[in-house]
Amino acid sequence: MKKYWGIFRISFQQEFAYRLNFVLWRVRNVFQILLTYFLWSTVFAGPGTQIFGYDRAKILTYVFAIMIVRALVFSARAMDVSRDIAQGDLSNYLLKPLSYLKYWFTRDVSSKVLNLIFAGAEFIILFLILRPPFFFQGDTVALLAFTASIILAIMIYFFILFLISSIPFWAPEIGWGSHFLVTVVIIEAFSGALFPINILPQGLQSFIMATPFPYLIYFPVQVYLGNIQGSALMGGLMVALAWTGVLWFSLKFIWQKGLKVYQAIGR
Amino acid sequence: MSRNSFSAIIDQKLALSVFLIGKVLRFIFFFGFLYFLLLGTKTLAGYSSNQVIFFFLTFNIIDVISQFLFREVYRFRPMIINGDFDLVLAKPLNPLFRVLMGAADVIDLVTIPPLVAATIYFGSLLHPSFISVFYYLVLLLNGLLIAAAFHVIVLSFAIVTLEVDHTIMIYRDLTSLGRLPIDIYQQPLRAFLTYLLPVGIMITLPAKAMMGTMSAMGIILAFIVGILAVFVALRFWNYALTKYSSASS
Amino acid sequence: MNRAIIVDNLVKNFEITEKGPGLTGAIKSLISPKKKEVHALRGVSFTIQPGELVGFIGPNGAGKTTTLKTLSGLLYPTSGFVEVLEFDPWERKPEFLKQISLVMGQKNQLWWDLPAMETFELNRAIYEIPTRSYQENLKELVELLDLEKLLETPVRKLSLGQRMRMELTAALLHKPKVLFLDEPTIGLDLIAQQKMRDFIYNYNSKYGATILLTSHNMDDLVDLARRVIVINEGQILFDGALEELVTKYAKEKIIKATLSKEDGIADIEKIGKVKKLAFPQVILSVPRAACAVAASELLQNFPVDDLTIEEIPIEDVIRKAFKGGLKR
Repeated sequence: MKKYWGIFRISFQQEFAYRLNFVLWRVRNVFQILLTYFLWSTVFAGPGTQIFGYDRAKILTYVFAIMIVRALVFSARAMDVSRDIAQGDLSNYLLKPLSYLKYWFTRDVSSKVLNLIFAGAEFIILFLILRPPFFFQGDTVALLAFTASIILAIMIYFFILFLISSIPFWAPEIGWGSHFLVTVVIIEAFSGALFPINILPQGLQSFIMATPFPYLIYFPVQVYLGNIQGSALMGGLMVALAWTGVLWFSLKFIWQKGLKVYQAIGR
Repeated sequence: MSRNSFSAIIDQKLALSVFLIGKVLRFIFFFGFLYFLLLGTKTLAGYSSNQVIFFFLTFNIIDVISQFLFREVYRFRPMIINGDFDLVLAKPLNPLFRVLMGAADVIDLVTIPPLVAATIYFGSLLHPSFISVFYYLVLLLNGLLIAAAFHVIVLSFAIVTLEVDHTIMIYRDLTSLGRLPIDIYQQPLRAFLTYLLPVGIMITLPAKAMMGTMSAMGIILAFIVGILAVFVALRFWNYALTKYSSASS
Repeated sequence: MNRAIIVDNLVKNFEITEKGPGLTGAIKSLISPKKKEVHALRGVSFTIQPGELVGFIGPNGAGKTTTLKTLSGLLYPTSGFVEVLEFDPWERKPEFLKQISLVMGQKNQLWWDLPAMETFELNRAIYEIPTRSYQENLKELVELLDLEKLLETPVRKLSLGQRMRMELTAALLHKPKVLFLDEPTIGLDLIAQQKMRDFIYNYNSKYGATILLTSHNMDDLVDLARRVIVINEGQILFDGALEELVTKYAKEKIIKATLSKEDGIADIEKIGKVKKLAFPQVILSVPRAACAVAASELLQNFPVDDLTIEEIPIEDVIRKAFKGGLKR
């Protein structure tokens, strides 16, 4: 355990060594939120507007909750695994009495802690400026379910990142490209980070809900808002859990294959 | 041995096609989102579904064309750091031209034609008058001029601070606020986007001209901002060059 | 345990998927991959005693790095037997990894943007080094490698030589019993090379650590390794003392003489092969067995001021070896 505390600490320091990067990354996050916020604020500008089952308070709570959930789920470092594999730095880690998977998970957690602190500050500042109606969840069951859904979201995101990062075992040249495709394009669209999934037509909605992506943002936020309860909540958690399992096993399988290919060939 | 075999399989085209797929999907997803959104709301800030889509397409036109033309900016940092910029300065070719428009991005050659076709189609649904189309094209050009000015500022900034990647991403993030008409943003953000960082003039204004909601006065104002932006950018560029310290090694 | 490393008939083949040019090539290689087998090691055997310092020589692609990587558990052997400190390296058991270290001259484990001290601290945690011995080891390494003033400097600001010494410190904090060094002096200037060599020598003699190093730099081997293993195209060509390599494979010796007069200098050809003739100096190459005779003839028939007999430089022997002059 002490090992991973050491990693946590140094990883935290590393982020500070790149202070400018980090600050600019947070600035970009704020832009993203502003676009989403004003978009929905405009849609629900008219008093009493009700669309897709949302009213102004609910949708703006959704947007604000995204800020925190994004920091918790999307803050990660594991995309750098791609580079470790492509450039061969992976060898350095294989030589150490250390689990490479846990190493990156620890780094992700450290990134999440740091980002959460900043996201919290941004949340407060934007909240004071924009003064949106916000719904504070007080129900213990909902909060517990929210916590569970966040943990599952973090795991799912970690496994997806690691899986995508394994591509360079076979095709080192598309390491960065595949991260762009999956984490920037697909996850941004289907996770619910821009819009709640349930504004889409039913068929499309069910399709997306069968993928792991909405369990990253949309599902946890809806659970927080109390919009998903009872059997739907249990069902959702089960799907998320199933995806966590499936992704974990595929990762183990792919990683074993990948390591064989890697074989430290001059990298 | 192994190092060579490793680099031998590096395939530029495969990497490019992954990016291309990513770009196209991103476009389709946002487009789909707008479509479904407006299916529910009917209007956004008073604009109809087709109008909102037209704003989005105009954003893409400016975004894709400026990426196509100014792709070299993304490669400027290594050029400054390893000293290749010295060679650029030593050549009898305008260095600004070289580092701004030195290389076009081939990916966009694939994306530009369908994008233009879509813009023409959705533009025609707005039933514009001949003069509106004319204003649109002229303002689009003005928008590209402002985009060029921004890229020049990014380059100048790079000479002074050795920093490109973040400034260009911040620029991209800000312009991406123009995916939607800037009318949706509240003050003071809207004023900021109109005058200080004229995303509104770059993207929203041309599209509005197409819808016939622009006065001649507004168009003249847009041009003044455009020319001013270019002027400021060039001044900054010339200033930055005086601060250039060639890489030592 | 009287063997630190046992390698028996080790074979390692790599399967390389060949990919044609362009997108079509990439897709084709995904559908029906064309595989090519590369034989990196073709039956390598040797054993190393604890405390030995052995040099690995061979041209690029000979299989040196592949051997080191197999021994440290990065590569799975295609066939054959490998044992290091009575462990199977491939299992990468923590107890095994805690006793070895692999340092690659072209790879670094230090965190680029942080002071090296941070990486040391991290390694302390990863290798679970007790605080006492960590502090002792660190102090000692830092003194030996002359790094006191650099500990708080971000790694990216260090020179290559300083960085290599930091890398070595990071690799030795856990006092590995077996140390694999892959090109430890590559890219270093002469003084830095010498510092590195002195350190490796001392480390080996002081702690009795088993060291296996590869190098292109002959000075490394002459200075450090009593025993060398010459490897080419995945096969061992020679395994033994460095001097033995020279006497066995250098069929000739070098006679250097300084003459006092130029008279009859052309006749000198009769004594041996003239390698260089620039009065007053002459360099001859003569068969090993005929060396003494040649020297006395030279002394008798020519006005010799000074005369020395030398071995062919090790570089030349090895260069010759890889040109095919060295066969089993």
